[in-house]
Amino acid sequence: MNGLVASDLHLRVGERALLDGVSLAVRPGELVLLAGRNGAGKTTLLRTLVGALVPHRGRIELEGRPLAEWPGRARARQLAFVPQGVDTPFEFTGRELVTMGRHPHRGRGEALRPDDVAAIDRALAMVDAAAFADRRVTTLSGGEQRRIAVARALATEAPLLLLDEPTNNLDLEHALQLVAMLRRFAAAGRAALVASHDLNLVAPHCDRVVLLHQGRVFADGPPQQALANETLAAVFGVHGAAAEGFFPRAFRLPGSGS
Amino acid sequence: MGNPVNRRRLPLLLLVALLLLAVAFLVFARQAPGPGTFLAWLATWFGGPAIEPADAFVFGQMRLPRLLVAMFGGASLALAGAVMQATFRNPLASPDLVGTAAGAAFGGASTIVLGLAAAHVLMVPLGSLLGATVVTGLVFVLAQSHGRFQVATLLLAGIALHTLVGALTAFVVTFTYDNYTASSRVLFWLMGGLDDRTWANAWITLGGFVLFGAMVAPRARELDLLTLHDDSAHSLGVDAARARRWLVWCACGLTAATVANTGGIAFVGLVVPHLARLLVGPAHAVLLPTAALLGAVLLVGSDLACRLVPPDWNLRLGVVTALFGAPYFLVLLARHRRGEEL
Repeated sequence: MNGLVASDLHLRVGERALLDGVSLAVRPGELVLLAGRNGAGKTTLLRTLVGALVPHRGRIELEGRPLAEWPGRARARQLAFVPQGVDTPFEFTGRELVTMGRHPHRGRGEALRPDDVAAIDRALAMVDAAAFADRRVTTLSGGEQRRIAVARALATEAPLLLLDEPTNNLDLEHALQLVAMLRRFAAAGRAALVASHDLNLVAPHCDRVVLLHQGRVFADGPPQQALANETLAAVFGVHGAAAEGFFPRAFRLPGSGS
Repeated sequence: MGNPVNRRRLPLLLLVALLLLAVAFLVFARQAPGPGTFLAWLATWFGGPAIEPADAFVFGQMRLPRLLVAMFGGASLALAGAVMQATFRNPLASPDLVGTAAGAAFGGASTIVLGLAAAHVLMVPLGSLLGATVVTGLVFVLAQSHGRFQVATLLLAGIALHTLVGALTAFVVTFTYDNYTASSRVLFWLMGGLDDRTWANAWITLGGFVLFGAMVAPRARELDLLTLHDDSAHSLGVDAARARRWLVWCACGLTAATVANTGGIAFVGLVVPHLARLLVGPAHAVLLPTAALLGAVLLVGSDLACRLVPPDWNLRLGVVTALFGAPYFLVLLARHRRGEEL
């Protein structure tokens, strides 16, 4: 397994360059945090990496094969995506939404097989969503909907996972559970790329942090290096300090006391 | 929301209701022949003695084709509505509101006025299909922004084209006023109804349902996925843009094959999928057959009601469906205003 390798991605909308020469790799066994300011290009980059957006220049290789050459369903079995928000106007149950994650494995009109059901149950258990899986999504809280969305991606059983703000709206317990689950996911030889603003929560568990700034990779390395005070000051305009070690860090705006 | 037992039983229940309604449809009418003759007519199929040719004609050539048009027309419109609501990712989409039905009526009317209808029995439905496809295609392009169909944009584009195409159809009628036969046939499209339907109408409606229904049915799961954002559908292996175009076209086909034979029948395509969703939930593998059965039940029942009220009421089928459809539509709009899910 070679993972996902992107090099020199350029994407512009009109005059605005959303991605301006981005290169990054997500290798098997890695949990990678994608960080950056609002509008830095994180969501654009994830959508490009999953093939929903086509870059104007640059190449993306999934398992050593250009992404665009993958047939849709075969790609979906290798690479799963959790977008922001739950996204249907209809009142599906959580389980029905997670069942959609099995689409890449099922032939047209084919009924659910036992291994499909097993994968769905596993996915629901991984995000602790089994208890409310049979409720209509519209009756679920924001955090519960997020967990259903993550479970749908997990149900594909793809070894590569791209997640856009998966911890949004999650309570503290389930946010920590999610990060621990992703850590185990990576430890099992798979890989995940997580876009998040929650640096204290996610970064300590990551192998690497890719810091995106104005459509470019500003830093790419271990958390201590990529989120060092100099880069934090340059990218976010804040200072960070930890009581001991590196995390958790107290962030403060410059000139706002200690 | 229907527990699993109800969900499994419901199609069966609907099927029984449909069969009962179908028999009632054949038997009950303001004029003879009635139930006794009906049984005798059934018996002729199994080697029973022949009945009055006039009575056999009423059953075999008048009521039966009309029943089949109502049955498969209702099923087709409901199916078209369910497909459109999923593909436009919008619970208010339907053949009438998107302008598909108006386009089909205009296409069919034009073939009559141009004198093409006499050339082949399939000319009118093909004209309808062309009209439906062009109008729906325009709404599809106009209402789409970044792969999404906003409620307001879709309805505005639908209303604009609906009005324009309706005016064109009216123009076609007045333009050919000296040709009484053609213009009265075209007027029929504006009214909507099942009077004097023949076997040709029945076969075309049935054929359209079977043909386009068979294209839609294996894609029930893709319809589920298309209700998600395109990014999600894409990431799960569905080419959303392509699947959406194809399925919307199938909905056009279902609509055209019905409208060519019935004219405009309001609200069936909008309301029936909603009722079906209330009964069995939004998963299309169950929703599609339920909606089709419910649509058939509803249209057969409505047309039966039309035929049983006093003749001087002159009640049209489109009026009956509008009577229950329009209030339901207003309820949906009110819910939408309150920001609830539709």
